[in-house]
Amino acid sequence: MNCNESRLLLSGYSDRELDPEQHREVETHIDDCSSCRDVHRRNVSISKALTHESFYYRAPADLRERVLASIDPLENDDAEKRSWWKSRPRLSWEWAVAFSLAVIVVMLAAWPVRSPSDDLANELVASHVRSLMADHVTDVASTDQHTVKPWFDGRLDFAPTVLDFAPQGFVLVGGRLDYVSNRPVAALVYKRRQHVINLFVFPEQGGLPASQGSMLKQGYNLIHWNRSGMTYWAVSDLNLEELTQLANLYQGGQ
Amino acid sequence: MNMTAPPRNNLVANTNRLEFEKTVLPHFDAAYNLARWLTRNTADADDVVQEAYMRAFKFFGGFNGGDGRSWMLRIVRNTCYSWLQKNRSSELVYELSEALYDDKNSGPEVELIENVERQWLRQKIEELPAPFREVIVLRDIEGMSYKEIASVTESPVGTVMSRLARGRERLQKQAGVDEAGGKR
Repeated sequence: MNCNESRLLLSGYSDRELDPEQHREVETHIDDCSSCRDVHRRNVSISKALTHESFYYRAPADLRERVLASIDPLENDDAEKRSWWKSRPRLSWEWAVAFSLAVIVVMLAAWPVRSPSDDLANELVASHVRSLMADHVTDVASTDQHTVKPWFDGRLDFAPTVLDFAPQGFVLVGGRLDYVSNRPVAALVYKRRQHVINLFVFPEQGGLPASQGSMLKQGYNLIHWNRSGMTYWAVSDLNLEELTQLANLYQGGQ
Repeated sequence: MNMTAPPRNNLVANTNRLEFEKTVLPHFDAAYNLARWLTRNTADADDVVQEAYMRAFKFFGGFNGGDGRSWMLRIVRNTCYSWLQKNRSSELVYELSEALYDDKNSGPEVELIENVERQWLRQKIEELPAPFREVIVLRDIEGMSYKEIASVTESPVGTVMSRLARGRERLQKQAGVDEAGGKR
């Protein structure tokens, strides 16, 4: 590999986006070539500098309200375009019957294709989203695992393992009590750059796959595994690779 | 038949609104961040985000249920570009980095130096042409994979990789020029 080829791949190399063979080739090249090595080092330090929170522009608090308000008239426009809308009374028995029918049809259509783990995953994603939307991510906010763990005592009938991985870039920000699958569960909350990760912990239940696995739901990555009678689900909009890293760290620390 | 038609439409509209909020509202900060980096000022980012969400609502029927963040950011990006085209003149108005002297109640000296360096880096990124700027923002600040960036920018993964390589190289070159200037 020469320097021109290597320069084009260095970004993919530091971002761990190359296939294993290319990755090895670049590695071999920068072992020998000091100028490519310098470019690589500077790339890494730029990427690292950009993880500082000051680079992430958060939306002003009132913008969300204004955006939602601007969508409302659109919704009404849509409705007014349909002529039947104006000519019919809004709440009649026809409505009620047909609405119920439609709900039943939708439920029947959706029911059989969903497996228990699909349902659980949807519930966990909803729980993750709710924690972000309501700005209620943590019940106990602490980066100290020895504060978070005792907090769960007496609130749950099991003791979740609480681990902090701040040195590896996954900062424990706290814990939360959540209710999933008809039982209280522990949610450990981590942050990676601006991304919030919810790690749900609860006793293993029957009917769910035992092995580790991952899935993508509504743009969120989920990783689950079982260990010593407990089930773990990590949910985040973080990319799968880094989320897997957290899962591995956690399992390594257990 | 006539009886069932109206409620079905209404149900669709209601589910749509809920689905819409569930799919794209969690990515509100991501949308704003991208708009802010592409327009380079807060007032325009506000307008772009607002327009992008209105577009997203109109086109939500076309959303295939995949990755909501990539879908929303694709719309934000397109809105940004048509906005920049329409208002090209104001692109010349260059906002001076407002946060430069934010740290007046000076903390430790190290923190101050880091702030200045960050400010410098922010400015260099803002000076990059948009195609390089957006891939760096999506990768290093938003933390997206190349595949996700390819979906947002509607370009092949190979293009994402080469733009990142060239964008980062430009940042480094500017660093070199400035260092040389400083020595003189």
